[in-house]
Amino acid sequence: MEFTGAIREAKKGTAELVVLAFLEDEPRHGYELTQLIEARSGGALTFNFASLYATLYKLEERKWIQGRWVEKAGQRRRRYYRITSEGREVLAAQRKEWRQFFELIRELAGVEHA
Amino acid sequence: MRDRDLREWRTLIHERADREWRELSPDVEHELACHLADLHAAALTRGASQADARRLALEALNAASFLEVSKRPRARHMPTGYVQDMRLAIRQLRASPLVSAVAILSLALGIGANTAIFSIVNSLLLRPLPVHEPQQLVTLTNGSWTNPIWEQIRDRHDLFDSAFAWSDTRFNLASGGETEFVDGLWSSGSLFETLGVRAILGRTFTAGDDRRGGGPDGAVAVISYDFWQRRFGGASDVVGRRLNIERAPFTVVGVTPPDFFGPEVGRKFDVAIPIGTEPIIKGAGTWLDERSTWWLAIMVRLRPDQSIDAANAALRAAQPAIRDATAPGWNGYISEPFTLAPAITSKSALRRHYERPLIVVLTIAALVLLIACANIANLLLARATARHHEFSVRRALGASRWRLARQLVAESAVLSTAGAAAGVVVARWGSQFLVQQISTRTNRVFLDLSLDVRVLAFTIAVTIATTLLFGVVPALRVAASEPMDAIKEYGRSLAGRRGGLSGSLVVAQVALSLVLVVAAMLFTRTFTSLTNLDLGFDRDRVLVVSVNAERAQIDRSARLPVFERVLERVQGLPGVVQAGLSMITPTSGQGWNGDVDVSNTPRLGGRQAHTFRNAITPRWFAALGMRLVAGRAFTDADGKGAPAVVIVNEAFVRRFLNGQNPIGHTVQRRVIFNRNRPDAVPPPAQEIVGVVADAIYDNLREQVPPTMFEPLEQSEMSIVPQLALTIRTAGSPMADARSIAAAIRDVNADLAITFRPLADYVNASVVRERIVAMLAGFFGGLALLLASLGLFGLTSYTVERRRAEIGIRMALGAAPSGVIGLVLSGTIGLVAIGIIAGGTLSLWAARFVGALLYQVEARDPVTLVTAAATLAVIAAIAAALPAYRASRIDPATVLRESQA
Repeated sequence: MEFTGAIREAKKGTAELVVLAFLEDEPRHGYELTQLIEARSGGALTFNFASLYATLYKLEERKWIQGRWVEKAGQRRRRYYRITSEGREVLAAQRKEWRQFFELIRELAGVEHA
Repeated sequence: MRDRDLREWRTLIHERADREWRELSPDVEHELACHLADLHAAALTRGASQADARRLALEALNAASFLEVSKRPRARHMPTGYVQDMRLAIRQLRASPLVSAVAILSLALGIGANTAIFSIVNSLLLRPLPVHEPQQLVTLTNGSWTNPIWEQIRDRHDLFDSAFAWSDTRFNLASGGETEFVDGLWSSGSLFETLGVRAILGRTFTAGDDRRGGGPDGAVAVISYDFWQRRFGGASDVVGRRLNIERAPFTVVGVTPPDFFGPEVGRKFDVAIPIGTEPIIKGAGTWLDERSTWWLAIMVRLRPDQSIDAANAALRAAQPAIRDATAPGWNGYISEPFTLAPAITSKSALRRHYERPLIVVLTIAALVLLIACANIANLLLARATARHHEFSVRRALGASRWRLARQLVAESAVLSTAGAAAGVVVARWGSQFLVQQISTRTNRVFLDLSLDVRVLAFTIAVTIATTLLFGVVPALRVAASEPMDAIKEYGRSLAGRRGGLSGSLVVAQVALSLVLVVAAMLFTRTFTSLTNLDLGFDRDRVLVVSVNAERAQIDRSARLPVFERVLERVQGLPGVVQAGLSMITPTSGQGWNGDVDVSNTPRLGGRQAHTFRNAITPRWFAALGMRLVAGRAFTDADGKGAPAVVIVNEAFVRRFLNGQNPIGHTVQRRVIFNRNRPDAVPPPAQEIVGVVADAIYDNLREQVPPTMFEPLEQSEMSIVPQLALTIRTAGSPMADARSIAAAIRDVNADLAITFRPLADYVNASVVRERIVAMLAGFFGGLALLLASLGLFGLTSYTVERRRAEIGIRMALGAAPSGVIGLVLSGTIGLVAIGIIAGGTLSLWAARFVGALLYQVEARDPVTLVTAAATLAVIAAIAAALPAYRASRIDPATVLRESQA
């Protein structure tokens, strides 16, 4: 699935939300995040790795997530990110906002929620 | 492998960020590199080919922008570039430790060997004496001088600023029995002052100390710093202490500075005493008034405004007066004009003896370094080719050619610096080892090998030269990388060009190695010819005991009976097979000669009448194992008062008797006209009673000279203070030294004795040949090793490059032997060209080593062919291993790879 026009524009603003959402359950590292996002979206959503890390660093700066270097046996050193309590609040608030936004769009443009 | 990938990705990310003027923290760089490495690995797991997997990761990198990732602008100061080059270079070298280790090791050996030999060349040939204004010092050339001549020069104060005389010797410090020798120096009162050497403790000599029989302070001695430490433990109260020299008491008056080793390069002194004190030691045998005993070297300090020509003129003007005052009475006495020569590096016998071999060995070492450089250039070239893709990508990402070339040169510089650092250690050890090898027991060689500016400059120059030699070729190759190459097939496009360059490097290596192997073989053959030479006597199981009666207070005429008692006692000892006394020991460096006529033969002119002489006791021939070929040996009946007899060698018969039977002829010694002894009567004619087989007299390399032997009892040499006691032993020569020493002490406890196996004397006379053969052999072996490594590397690389082709050939039915032939054909061609070039080079270089060889021609065809064959065999082995591996390639695997 390929997005064009307006949706593609909107996607840029959703990056922070998506990253926070994927970190909600457990800490993950950058590569794992890109793989998950790509898989769950069926390839529709992809990040260039530089933008992904730019997003991660921005979120970390805002203290919504926290990164930590972890070394596991037989693997190279990796930085795992976990969501902070502040991040969870932001995620909940953003979810709520998006939900309201979708409701609005559905009503106005007749788009059915899947 | 994974770590290397990670490093490469880090480098690429670093450069990419650099281009956007962003600086990434190391953590961020690592994190991003991990990401790309994961991407790459995942693609491989999915079944992508190496090239595709890489392309995928590279595309991700190319699409990235780091402007958002880091807000930190790149630091702008210039040097970071260079520092970063170095950091990258070290990282690169650590990434392939084996290649780097081999490179550094071969450089360490190459640079180390060159530095070691250069530091000897430096201290022996280049470095001036560590004294005040050495350029003002000149020596009186051509040999040594008598004390009367020295006194004449000394007393002419107006000739120069100042002058001094000296003579090397050994002093025995033991009070009796076994000797304890130290390096001694007879010094005129002016030596230290003229050289500008001040004592660090006490004082040096004054003119007063040099008075005959001692000055106002009696017999005084100045000792060297080294001796002060060794013997006195650096005691601060050493001045005023007593030192027994040749059993005469001397008072220590001063210690010289640590860096002063004496007036002659190659020797050092432990104890210096004034020439005037010589009679205290030698007694009636003093040389101070001897007009034909030449034992002093003379050095002069010019006045500040005086040229060497002016000094020569002044000295020559005084020459007739000096001649008249000192003439011993024979014709031709100091008829050559006095000649002064710069002493900047000081006169030295050692220097004359080792100048040419040192230069030859330095050249050999330089060639080895060249071969090592060729090897490293090849290694780096191979690596540069392997990294070709990386370089193209970096070009594509905006790195300049210059930048990439600079990084490769930085890698070479790091390599050669590491090699040089290790090389200095090798050199320190190596040069000391060499000097030890040059020293013999009686002739201790001392060279100041401390690192000075010249050695340091040499090492740095060699390091820079090697960097350029092996670093530039790969750098030029990299500079030729095109950005588009990155998109083409992974690292293939330039492979062909690398092959050509490596080929020439290997040809050069083979050629130079052949030269070195030839040199090694020539020098080794020289040395083995000398050691296997039939000396005419038996060197093994023979002990030589020097017995010195100088301090034993025995009247001159009573000395021989004492020596004979010693002989008798020793002869009776168990373990002693035969024993004899002699004036001269073969190969000891001593000589005694004169001109003779033989009855009923034509009188020979000039040097033709010259014969060497020796005085011996009856069983001396037997003790040495010399063979009597005609007539009889001496018996106890050939004593004083009996008819004068003589035994000659075969060379004597050939020279003087032209094949006639010598027995019954008489030998008449010629007398030199002596103005002081006009009444001298000619010695009695001696009858030839026997002929011995030729045996070496002194020099192994020269033909055995005509030699005549006379009974010691009939000889004028029966009064000398020192004789050699030659003992054939049943076991090892030194085994019975203790009982022999006891027996000699029993006869007279005041005799000074020194033990030395005869083999020691013989070995000492071929020290130079041994060292040259040893070094040439070592370097020849090293050259072979390096060249075979180079060939191995090149062939392996060729196989790797042609893997796909070989796989396809095999899939199409080529036999393994055909594959081996295919791989070897290229290598054989290179080796053949190398051998032809090396052979030509060897023939040309032969002219420089001819003088150092013995019993082998510098252009000896057998040596050349053997060397070429050796090199060919080793080259074949080096190339056969990878060729064999090529024949084991599994076509299926290769085909699968190329499909992926």
